[in-house]
Amino acid sequence: MITWAYGWLLAFAAAAVLFFGAALVITIVGARDLKDLLTPSGRSSKK
Amino acid sequence: MNFQILDWCILFAYLAGSMYVGLRARKYVENMEGYFVAGRRVKVALGSATLIATEIGIVTFMYFGELGYVTGFSCFVLGVIGFLGYLVIGKTGFIVSGLRALKIVTIPEFYELRFGRGVRLLGGILLFLGGVLNMGIFLKMDGLFLTQTMGLGQGMLFTVMTVMLIVVVSYTILGGMFSVVVTDFIQFVVLSAGMLIATLFVLANVNLADMVSAVVNQLGEAGVNPTANPRFGWTFIFWMLIGSVAMSALNQPAASKAFASESPEVGRKVFLYTGITLAGRYMVPMFWGVAALAMFGPSVNSMTAMPKLLGTVIPSGLLGLMIAGMLAASMSTYSAYMLAWSSVATRDIIVPIRRREFSERATILLTRTVTGIIGLFILVFGLWYEIPATAFQYTAITGAMYGAGAFGCVVAGLYWKKANIVGAYAALGFGALAPIGFLVLDLVKSSIPREMMFLVDVNISGFFSFFLALAGMVVGSLLTQKSHPPVRL
Repeated sequence: MITWAYGWLLAFAAAAVLFFGAALVITIVGARDLKDLLTPSGRSSKK
Repeated sequence: MNFQILDWCILFAYLAGSMYVGLRARKYVENMEGYFVAGRRVKVALGSATLIATEIGIVTFMYFGELGYVTGFSCFVLGVIGFLGYLVIGKTGFIVSGLRALKIVTIPEFYELRFGRGVRLLGGILLFLGGVLNMGIFLKMDGLFLTQTMGLGQGMLFTVMTVMLIVVVSYTILGGMFSVVVTDFIQFVVLSAGMLIATLFVLANVNLADMVSAVVNQLGEAGVNPTANPRFGWTFIFWMLIGSVAMSALNQPAASKAFASESPEVGRKVFLYTGITLAGRYMVPMFWGVAALAMFGPSVNSMTAMPKLLGTVIPSGLLGLMIAGMLAASMSTYSAYMLAWSSVATRDIIVPIRRREFSERATILLTRTVTGIIGLFILVFGLWYEIPATAFQYTAITGAMYGAGAFGCVVAGLYWKKANIVGAYAALGFGALAPIGFLVLDLVKSSIPREMMFLVDVNISGFFSFFLALAGMVVGSLLTQKSHPPVRL
C-alpha cells in the first residue's frame, strides 16, 4: 500500500509540473492572442 | 477571522478590475456571432486559457478536495482518466472538429441539421435542464469554501456571493462571449497563481510522509486502490472513461469554446493543450484534500476539511490573493455556463417553439434576459437544495442527464450513416431516464426495497445512462430505416 501511495504522489508531482508549466506558456502566448483578438486591424483583416 | 484588511483590499480591487475589463469588452460585440462565439477568432493559447478557466471553479476545488479527503489517493485515478479523455479528443479531433466545421453555436443545432427540429427542441430542453441543475449547487459549494477559508459569518458570505454574481451576470449579459473570453484569460492567470500559492503553502505545512501514513492508516487499501474503494469500483471507472470523452466534447460551455475557435484544427488543439493540464487541475485540489486528512484526521466535515486547511496554512495578504484566484475560477465558470445555457434556451427552445427566427437584436436581448433569470435561479437554488451522494457525483449525474443522450446523438450523427430521427429520440430519452430516476428516487430512498437499491446507486445510474443512450440510438435507428430514412449532412 505504501508503494501505491508513493506512486500516486509521483503521478501528482508530474501532473502538477505539467499544469503549472503549461499555465506559464499559455499565459505568455495567450496574452499575444488576446491582443490580436482585440486590435481593430486584426478584426478587420479577418472580415 | 482569517481575512484581514489587506486581503479585503486585494479582493475588492480584483472584483472591480474584472467588472471594468468585462464591461469594456462589450464594445467589441458587433453582431450575433460576436456575442455568442466572439466572432470565431479565438486562437489556440487564448482558447486553452478560457477553456481551462471555464472548467475550474470553486465547485471543482470543493468536490475534488472532498474526494481527496474521503478517498485518499484513489481519486487521483480521475485525473488520469480525464487526461486520457481529452488526449483522445485533442489528438483525433473526435466530435469537436466535426461540430466546429459545421459552424454551429450550440450542440442542439446539430440535431436539427441531422435529425430534425423536434429533436433539437427535446435536446435543447434536456441540455438546459441538466445544465442549469448541474450549475445549481455551484454557489452553495462556493459559500462553504469561502466561509471556511475567510472565516466569515453567513450574512457577510451572502453579500460577497451576491456581489460576485452581480459582477459576473453584468459583464456576461452585456459583453457575451467577448467579455467571457477576455475576463477568462485574466481569471486563468489569477487562478493559476492562487493554485500555486495554495500548493506551496500546503507542501510547506504538511509532510508527505504524514499524508501517506494518514491515507494508509485511515483508509487502508481503499485509499490507494480505486477498484477496492466502495465509492468507486469498476462501474465508476467505466462510467468515467466514457463520460470523460462525452462530457469533455459535449459539455456546452466547453464546446462553445471550440465553436469560438478560428478553425476546426484550432478547436482540436485547444482540447489537446487543455488536456495536458487536466490531470494537474484535478489532482492539485485532491492533494489539498489528502493533506487535510493528514492535518485534521478523519472526523472533520468532509466538505469543509480542505478549505479549512487552506484557511489555516495560508497567511494574511496571500490569503486575499488566493481567494481572488478562487473567485476568479468561479467567475469564469459562471460566465461561460450562463452564456451557454442562455444560448441554448433562446436558440434551441424558444425559437423552435415560436417557429420563427428572431432578429439578431431580439435574440441577444432574449439571451441577456435568460442569463439574468439563470443568475437569480442559482442564487435561490444554491441556498436550499441538499446534495445527494458526493458533490462530484451530483454534478456527474446531472451532466449525464444531457451528456449521455448527446453522446449517442452526436457520435452516431457524425460517424454512423444509419443514425435516424427515431434513434435520436430514443438516445435522448433513454439517456436521461437513469439520471432522472436517480435524482427522483433518491428523494424517497428510505421507502425503496433493498433489492431495488441499485436504482439509487449513482455509479450504476451514470454508467447505464450512456449504455441506454447508445442502445436506444442503435436499436431505434435499425428498426426504422425504411419508415424514417436517415438525413445526410
